[in-house]
Amino acid sequence: MFRKKNTAGVDSDAIREILDEKKTKMKLSLKACAHCTLCAESCFLFMGRDKDPKYMPSYKFINSIGVLYKNKGNVDKLDLGEIRDIVWERCVLCTRCYCPMGIDIPEMIALARRVCRSQGVYPRYDQE
Amino acid sequence: MELSNILSGTCVYDFVRGPLVWISFIIFILGTIFQVFRLLSLTRVEETVKLKSGPGSFLPKRSEKEKTDWGLRARLSIFGVNPFLIVVTTLFHVLLVIMPIFVLGHNILLDNAFGISLFAFPEKTADVLTQIVIICAMIFLYRRLFVDRVKAITDWKDYLFLLLAAAPFITGYFAFHQTFSEHYRLIITLHILSGELMLMAIPFTKFIHMFYLVIIRLTVKSEYSLGQGDRVW
Repeated sequence: MFRKKNTAGVDSDAIREILDEKKTKMKLSLKACAHCTLCAESCFLFMGRDKDPKYMPSYKFINSIGVLYKNKGNVDKLDLGEIRDIVWERCVLCTRCYCPMGIDIPEMIALARRVCRSQGVYPRYDQE
Repeated sequence: MELSNILSGTCVYDFVRGPLVWISFIIFILGTIFQVFRLLSLTRVEETVKLKSGPGSFLPKRSEKEKTDWGLRARLSIFGVNPFLIVVTTLFHVLLVIMPIFVLGHNILLDNAFGISLFAFPEKTADVLTQIVIICAMIFLYRRLFVDRVKAITDWKDYLFLLLAAAPFITGYFAFHQTFSEHYRLIITLHILSGELMLMAIPFTKFIHMFYLVIIRLTVKSEYSLGQGDRVW
């Protein structure tokens, strides 16, 4: 749970700069999520992966952009690697997710992608 | 001195039914105004450009049946996906808002204080409705504890706020039925205190989904917007 972070190779200030741009909207949206899970069925990947909770839109934004804001950008390559798997492997940004509150989930995922990309963490389809 | 003794003491009792009522209402109202303007400032009005369809119609038109058949509309909405949870959540949230306003005891207090009172539910009805709220809260608790997908994103705050939302109803139920009559003062103090804490928490905590839902779903243009929103993020 609480492992020591090795922040080598990660520019936390640059991450914070990106996070600060949308801070109000993102923090309000994270707060407004009632963890109700009504978004689950709107995700075709959730439906296609045997209803695995890891594919729920709320799970995906809480564990990507939510983690980034919670740690105020102080994350290491391991964290970013996990976020990369969530925001690229488990979301295709089809933008069809439903939220009863109207939370803009695609923008949250897109912002997490932007943070990862700024740190050189993204899928390299030519190498993998 | 035990906590229960402190809570049921005259000093605390007078504070929660006196100044704290005003403090909580002021925090709730000012906090609400602040957050509503904050949410609106995050979005802006954008003119909708109506495109004329060219030769041949590519966009499927909504059929008349889809517009007027409410059963079909319900099935196509989130109600069709998860009908049980939608019924539970609707009952819970609607009652959570209207019960405190229309319960007889509260209206008697209003009448004593200001000489005004609103329509009040008969006591039997209010009792049943309170039980419905408590049952709904228990269903939410069950989901948090045992349903995989809910468990996956539940943290301690979810339990805390569920408890905070249900506490005024549970204590109100006990107070009405005089369940712990020897501790009546304690129960009623907890009832008032939990209601006030909830009121103060609404604008600044997870309870903010109350305004978020109304403002964002009603005013922002999106696939799932309710009504004719003309704002964008």
